[in-house]
Amino acid sequence: MRRLGRYLQGRKLWLAALLLVGTGNAAAQTGGWLLVRNAIDKGIRDGNEHHLTVVVVIYLCVAAAGWLLQAVLIRGLAGLGQRMVLGLRRDLFDHLTGLSLRYFSQQKAGWIIARLTSDVDAVSDVLSQGLPTLVANVILLPTAVIALLIADWRLGLVVFGVVPPTLILTRWFQKASHVAQVETRNRIAIVTAQIAESVAGMAVVQAFNRERTFQAQFDGLNAANREQNVYTQKIFSVFFPSIEFLGVVATCAVLFAGNSLLSSRLLTIGTLITALYLLQLVFQPLQELSDVYGQLQSGAAAMVKIATVLDEEPEIREARDARELPRIEGDLDLDHVVFAYGAEPVLHGVAIHVPPGGCLALVGESGGGKSTLARLVGRFYDPDRGAVRVDGVDLRDVKLRSYRRQLGVVLQDPFLFSGTIASNIRFAKPDATDEEVEAAAAAVGVDRVAARLSGGLEHAVREGGSGLSAGERQLISLARALLADPRILILDEATSNIDRPTEVLIERALDRLLHGRTSIIIAHRLSTVRRADEIVVIEHGRIVQRGTEAELLREEGSFRRLAHDLAEGETARVA
Amino acid sequence: MPDRANPVDPPDLGLLPTFRRLLRLWWAERRLGLLGLALAFCYTLISIAIPLISQRAIDDSIVSHENPLWPYVMAIAALATLRFVVNFSRRFATARIGIRIEARMRELLYTAYLRFPRAFYDRHATGQVLSRATNDLYPIRYFIGWGLVQGMQSVMMIIGAAIVLVLVDPQLALYTAVAMPPITVLALRFARRVSPLSRRVQERKGDVTETADEAVVGIEMVQAFGREDDVRGRFGTRAEAVRDTVLEQAGVEARHLPGLYYLPSLSIAAVVYFGGKAVINGELSIGQFVLFETLLLQLVWPLEALGWITNLAQRALASAGRSFAWLEGIAPLPEPESPVHLPRGPIDVRFEDVYFAYGGENDVLEGVDLEIAAGEIVAICGPTGSGKTSLLNLLPRFYDPTGGRVRIGGVDTRDTTIAELRTDVALVTQRPVLFSVTLRENLLFGQETASWDEVLAACEAAGVDAFADDLPEGYDTLIGERGVNLSGGQRQRVALARALVTGARVVVLDDPLSAVDTLTERRLVKRLRPALEGKTVLIATQRLSTIELAGRAVVLRDGRVIESGRPVDLIRAGGAFAELFGDEVVAA
Repeated sequence: MRRLGRYLQGRKLWLAALLLVGTGNAAAQTGGWLLVRNAIDKGIRDGNEHHLTVVVVIYLCVAAAGWLLQAVLIRGLAGLGQRMVLGLRRDLFDHLTGLSLRYFSQQKAGWIIARLTSDVDAVSDVLSQGLPTLVANVILLPTAVIALLIADWRLGLVVFGVVPPTLILTRWFQKASHVAQVETRNRIAIVTAQIAESVAGMAVVQAFNRERTFQAQFDGLNAANREQNVYTQKIFSVFFPSIEFLGVVATCAVLFAGNSLLSSRLLTIGTLITALYLLQLVFQPLQELSDVYGQLQSGAAAMVKIATVLDEEPEIREARDARELPRIEGDLDLDHVVFAYGAEPVLHGVAIHVPPGGCLALVGESGGGKSTLARLVGRFYDPDRGAVRVDGVDLRDVKLRSYRRQLGVVLQDPFLFSGTIASNIRFAKPDATDEEVEAAAAAVGVDRVAARLSGGLEHAVREGGSGLSAGERQLISLARALLADPRILILDEATSNIDRPTEVLIERALDRLLHGRTSIIIAHRLSTVRRADEIVVIEHGRIVQRGTEAELLREEGSFRRLAHDLAEGETARVA
Repeated sequence: MPDRANPVDPPDLGLLPTFRRLLRLWWAERRLGLLGLALAFCYTLISIAIPLISQRAIDDSIVSHENPLWPYVMAIAALATLRFVVNFSRRFATARIGIRIEARMRELLYTAYLRFPRAFYDRHATGQVLSRATNDLYPIRYFIGWGLVQGMQSVMMIIGAAIVLVLVDPQLALYTAVAMPPITVLALRFARRVSPLSRRVQERKGDVTETADEAVVGIEMVQAFGREDDVRGRFGTRAEAVRDTVLEQAGVEARHLPGLYYLPSLSIAAVVYFGGKAVINGELSIGQFVLFETLLLQLVWPLEALGWITNLAQRALASAGRSFAWLEGIAPLPEPESPVHLPRGPIDVRFEDVYFAYGGENDVLEGVDLEIAAGEIVAICGPTGSGKTSLLNLLPRFYDPTGGRVRIGGVDTRDTTIAELRTDVALVTQRPVLFSVTLRENLLFGQETASWDEVLAACEAAGVDAFADDLPEGYDTLIGERGVNLSGGQRQRVALARALVTGARVVVLDDPLSAVDTLTERRLVKRLRPALEGKTVLIATQRLSTIELAGRAVVLRDGRVIESGRPVDLIRAGGAFAELFGDEVVAA
C-alpha cells in the first residue's frame, strides 16, 4: 500500500479536502435525522406547523448539500484512484521491460501478463469502486455513532452492546471469505490454464483424437471450480442476513430501552424514532464495508503479486556511472567468458576477438553454447566471469540502450508485432521514411512476399505473425535488422526456414548487410559460414577449433567432420 | 469478404432468443429456482410484517401504554430469526443456480471448442476464445445467481409496500410517492449510460492486455533493438485510455449515484411535513408515521437494485448472445451418415482435382492432382506460400476441399468418421505443440496404449533419445511453462516421435525438422527411413537434406503441382525443382 501512496505525492492537500467533503457528506446524512427528531418533538408533538415547515425546508437544503458533496467525493476519489492505477501500471510495465531475458525465460508469459492486467485491474477496482465506498462509510460509521450519542447517550450505549458481536461476525467473515476466495481464484486459474492450453494446441488435440480425454480433464476441473464457488457463496450467504438480523436485534434493544426511558420521561418520542433510523446508519456501513472487503482483499493479494515483480531486481543493471556509448567501431572482445544458467556452466572461459567489420561464424552442434554466446554479446546476460568488451569498453560500464541501439538481432523464430508488415520493419527505426522501409523490404525480398498479400507492405499482421509462414516472418525480421543499420549484427540461424531461392537472395542481401559491420553468424549452411573471416567451432561450451574455412579444412578435427556432414546435407545424394 | 456471413463467425444472437435459451438453462435448475422465488416471496412478507409490528408496538405500547411491549418485541425477534433463515436459503439457492449455469455454459463452450473446425481458430484469437469461456461468463453468473431473483424480489417489495402504504393513508402515500418516479428514472438512466461505458472500459483493458502480451512475448526483440521507450509509450497511451474511460464512468456515477442516495430525502420530507400535519390533526398515529418512513426507506434499495439489474441483464444477455451464437452458429465438420471404414493394410493417398480456399479468400490450391502409392514417401516442395501446408492440412480433415476430393485408401476423407481418419493420419505441424505434462505423456499422446519399447524405438528414430536422458528427470520431466522449456528443435523431435508412436499408416510431416540443426538432421534422416517403412508419407520441406528421405518429389506452385518425379531426375530436368535446390547439388 505504501507503493500506492507514492503516486499521491503532490495531491495530499486534495486528498485532505476530499476527506473533508466526505465528512460533510456523512454529517448531512446523520444530521438529517437529527432534524427529523426536531420536527417530531418541536413541530408535531407541540402542534407547531410553522416550526414543522421550517425544519422540513432546512432538511431539504441539507439533503441537497449532501447530494452535491457526495458527487464531488465520487468523482474526486476516482480521479485520485486512477492516478495511482496509471502510475502503478506504467511503473510495472517500465520495470518489466527492463528485466533481463532470464526472467522472461523462467517466468511464464501468461503469469507476467496477468500481473500487468488482471492484478492491476483488481487494484483499479478497489480504487475506483471500493475507495469511495470505503471512505464514505469509514467516515459515516463513527459519525452515525456520535449522532446517536448526541440524540441520547443512553440509547447510544445500546449500540455498544450490538457492535462487538457484529465485529466478531465481520472478522470471521473476513477470514473465511479470504481463504475461500483465494482458493476460488486458484481453481478458476487452473480451469483457465487448461482451456488456454487446449485452445492453443487444438490442432494437435483434434489430430490425435484426444477430445474425450481433454473433455474429461476439463469436466473434473470445472466441477471442482463450481464446488469451490458454491462453498464461497455459502459464506457470503450467511454473512449478509446475519448483519440484517443483528440490525433487528439492535432495533428491539432500542425499543425496549427507549420504552422504559420514555415512561420515566427521560426521552422524547422523536428521539426514540430518530435513534431507530440512526441505528440503520450504523449497520449500513458495516454491511457495505464487508462488501468492499472482498474487493480490498483481492486488491491486496494482487498488490502482493505485483510487488514480487516490482521487487525483481533487474539482473542487467546499469552501473551508476554507466556512460553513453558513442557510435562504435565494432571491435568485439570476449575475454574468457564463463556463464551458467543454473549450476552447470554453459560456457567455460571462451575467448574470441572480432575486429571492427569482421565476421565471425559460430558452428557446432545444438546446445553447445552458440546462442548463449550471442546473447552475451547482446548483453541479455552478463558473464559470470570474464568480460565482453566493445571497442575496449566493458559492456557493463555502458548505458544499455546506447549499446543496443547499435545492435541488430535476427532470431530463428522471429516475433512480429501486430500492425502491418511495414510497421514491423520500421520497428527498430520508427522515424524511417516509407522509401527507406521499401528499400529495406526490397533488399531482402520482402517485397515479393508482400506482393502476394492484400495491401502489400501495409498487409495487416496479427499478433505473433500468425498467418505468415516462418520463412516470411524471417524475411521481415531481416528487413527490420537491415533498416536498423546496426554496428554489430547477430544472426542466430536466421535463414533456416527460408526456401532455397529466397535464401540465395538473402545471401546476396547479407553481403550488403554485413558490409562494414561486425557480425556474428550462427548457421549450419556451409554457404553461409563460408563468408566469415573466422570460424569458431564450439562444443560443450568450449572452443575446439578456430580459423578460416581453408585452415580448418586442412586440420583433422571437428570442423572437417562437420563440414563433411554439412556438405553432405546440403548436396544430398539425389541419385 | 466481410459482407458475407462467415460460417465460423456468426452474428450474435438477439436479446429475446438469448433470453429464451438462458431461461431453458435456468429451467434445468428449476427446483432451486422456484425455491428461490418462493423464499424471496417469504422474505418480502416478513420484511413488510416487521415494520407493521413496530408500528403497533409504538402506538399500542410505547405511546399509549395499553399493552406491554415485550410480546411485540418477541414477535419482531422471531420474525427476524425466520427472515435470517429465509434470506440465507434464498441467497444460497440462487447463487448456486448462477454458479451451476456458469459451469454449464463453460462446459458447453469447451465441448464445442473441441469440435470446432480449424477455420474457427484461424479466425478468432486465442485470447478471445479463452475469455468467452471465462471472464465473459461472469455477468451471466451474477445475473442468474443474483439479478434475476433479486429483481423479482424488488418488484414484490415495491408492490407490497405500496399496498400497505395505500391502506394506511392513501393521500399521504400519494405525496410520499413523489420521489419514486425520479428514483426509477435516474436508476434506469444510470444503467443505460454506465453499461456502454463499462463495456468500453473492458475494451480499453483489452488493448492494454494486447500491448502487454506483445511486449512480454516479444521482449527479446524489444530489448535487442533498444525500443523499450516505444513500447512503454504505446503501453502508456493505452493505459491512459483506460484511465480516461474509467474517469468518464466515474463522472456518470457522480451525476447519478448521489441522486439515488438523496432523492428518498424528498419522500422523508413529505412524510415529515404532510404526515406531521396529519399527526397534529389526529388523522395519523405516530406509529403509522414511523411505518411510512420505514417502508419508504426499505424501498430505496429495491429501486436502486432495479437499475443495477437492468444493467447487469444487458451485459449478461450480450455476453450470452455471443456465446450462443458460437454454440449454435458454428457447425463442426460434417460426419458422414453411413461411414465407410478404411481398408486394411498399407493405404494410398490421392488428391483429385483439389481446390481449396480459406474462408472466402482466393484459392490457395487450384486443381491439385496427386497420387501417392501405399508405402511411398513423397516430398512436397515449393516456395514459401505455395500451398504446401494447406495441402497437408486436408489429409486429417482440418479443412475440407472447396472442390475435388481427397481419398485415402480409395475412401473420400469425408466418407469415413473423423476419428477413424485421424487415427490413421498422424500429423507433425510446422510449429510443434507440446502439452504441459511429462515428456512420457507427450510421447504417448496419440496412442496411450503403446508399449514402452515402441516409444523408445520412435524416440530413437526421431532423435529424442539424444537429449531425453539429459533432462532432469529423463522421460518423466515435466515439459512446458511449469517445467522444462525445450528448444525449438527438441520440440520438433518430440512431435515427430509422438506421430511415430501412433502407428498411423499415413504420416504427414509439415517441415518437421526446420528447427533442427543440419547435423542432427543428417543423422535423423538416416534413422527415419526404416521407421517410416511401409507408411505412406508426405513431407513438406525447404531442405534438400530432408527430401533425401523421399523417393519422389513434387513441386507446388501457385496451388498446382507443376513437377513430379525422382529428385535426381528433376535436378537433371532443370525445371522448377532444380531452381529450388539446384545450386546445392552443384556444390557437391
